[in-house]
Amino acid sequence: MLEVKNIKYSYNSDYQALKGVSLKVEKGEMVALLGKNGAGKSTLFLHLNGIYQPDEGQVFIDGEELKYDKKSLLKFRQKVGIVFQNPDDQIFAPTVEEDVAFGPLNLGLSMEEVQDRVEEALSRVGMSGFEKTAPHHLSGGQKKRVAIAGILAMKPEVMVLDEPTAGLDPQGVVDLSILLNELNDEGITIVISTHEVDLVPNYAKRVFVMVDGLLIAEGTPKEIFAKPEILEQANLKVPIVTDLFQQLEREGFDMHGDYPLTIEEAKEKFLELLDKN
Amino acid sequence: MKFDMDYIAHHNELTETNPYLKLFLTIFLLVLTLALDNLYFDVFIFIVMSVVILAIAKINYRSYFKFLSIPMAFLVITCIFLMLFFGKGEVIYETGIFGIVITTDSLHYAVYTFMRVFGCLPCLGFLALTTPIAKILNCLRNMKVPRIMIEIALLMYNTIFIFLNEIDTMQKAQNTRLGYHSYWSSFKSLGALISTIFLRSLDKSETLQFALDSRGYTGELPVYEPRKKEN
Repeated sequence: MLEVKNIKYSYNSDYQALKGVSLKVEKGEMVALLGKNGAGKSTLFLHLNGIYQPDEGQVFIDGEELKYDKKSLLKFRQKVGIVFQNPDDQIFAPTVEEDVAFGPLNLGLSMEEVQDRVEEALSRVGMSGFEKTAPHHLSGGQKKRVAIAGILAMKPEVMVLDEPTAGLDPQGVVDLSILLNELNDEGITIVISTHEVDLVPNYAKRVFVMVDGLLIAEGTPKEIFAKPEILEQANLKVPIVTDLFQQLEREGFDMHGDYPLTIEEAKEKFLELLDKN
Repeated sequence: MKFDMDYIAHHNELTETNPYLKLFLTIFLLVLTLALDNLYFDVFIFIVMSVVILAIAKINYRSYFKFLSIPMAFLVITCIFLMLFFGKGEVIYETGIFGIVITTDSLHYAVYTFMRVFGCLPCLGFLALTTPIAKILNCLRNMKVPRIMIEIALLMYNTIFIFLNEIDTMQKAQNTRLGYHSYWSSFKSLGALISTIFLRSLDKSETLQFALDSRGYTGELPVYEPRKKEN
């Protein structure tokens, strides 16, 4: 579906931001790209729809190589939508509906089709009724939703979100992860970059770990969070629940190498342990 | 109290009034006031439009005074300069400094300029305080004003809020560390603020460009026509 082959990219001659990254995301997957600030996550994302052209390497979408002429770019940018970290960078129009309409209009759709898509996208993210509002009168979480609606209205196959939970309040984070799960269920492939590990096991089936412009690990959340050396290298931690069970193990409870990652799993494990004793 | 013109424009009794009507009324009154150039008419227009703004649009009087106060300050300074340094004719007052004098001519200029602007301000205020920018831009677009001008205005309108926010945050941060404690540190802090804001603006503009490109921007902002509400 979405494949990146050995991408290298330098901002200038002394700083190589990407040092040969390869990754593959299957259709309908929801994956997380973990890495600390400055690991190259955002740089990688900007390659996925051809904003940056790599010094070396290729990007494939649906098996088709990304070309950098105007026509192909428009096609690929419809397929791969990027939601930027800061919604203020993305939302530019004076009203919410005009901003959501921007992408579909650029695709050259009829006005009626665009109106339908705007309505649909806004209701999908729960922002119906805000059509005429000025974006700077919205809260951070609402702006994020509008930014997502702006991408949804283009009907992308892949949605790429750069640090989507940054700057959201706890309720906003919960709402957002519910929304992303729903969108994924509807068939959109989702790639999320983050360094907040707690929520990752809730949505990601697969996790990539990035350090200094290189992918150093790939696997299910279970596999990745069981490798302390990788997490250390990436300046990351295990989810807080997992941390609790790892500490319990040191107190003498045998976990058989199976540490819960989410609250649900932790609950089951607790009940199991209580039963045994 | 913070003065947020945009908020006022969205929340007053005349927000939903036909924007064309407001735009044409404003232009008509501006032209009329300038063309008549009559002191009594200037005062008359000032009173009428102030009543419209305060009583009909129901805009808080303190916000209105704030709106007036900034251009008023410029106006007063300009008129003092006009009075002292322009015009010829009979001298009516000698200041005694460097031979600066007020002449009948310059007094006339100053008074008329002052009153003209005095009359025009509430007309502009009427438009600016009761109409959201998006609506004004839409009108202009339908009136075939060149697209490029509208696009620049639109992008500026959006980014100005982010820009002002950044300045506000940075200034607070500087104040926290006593950046404006003395004259000298004020100069230094202001310099740092301006250079940082410039760099950050460049950075932001690049990101905005990427975000626009990501959604298929072709160099021209398309126009969205919202569906008419079914009544």
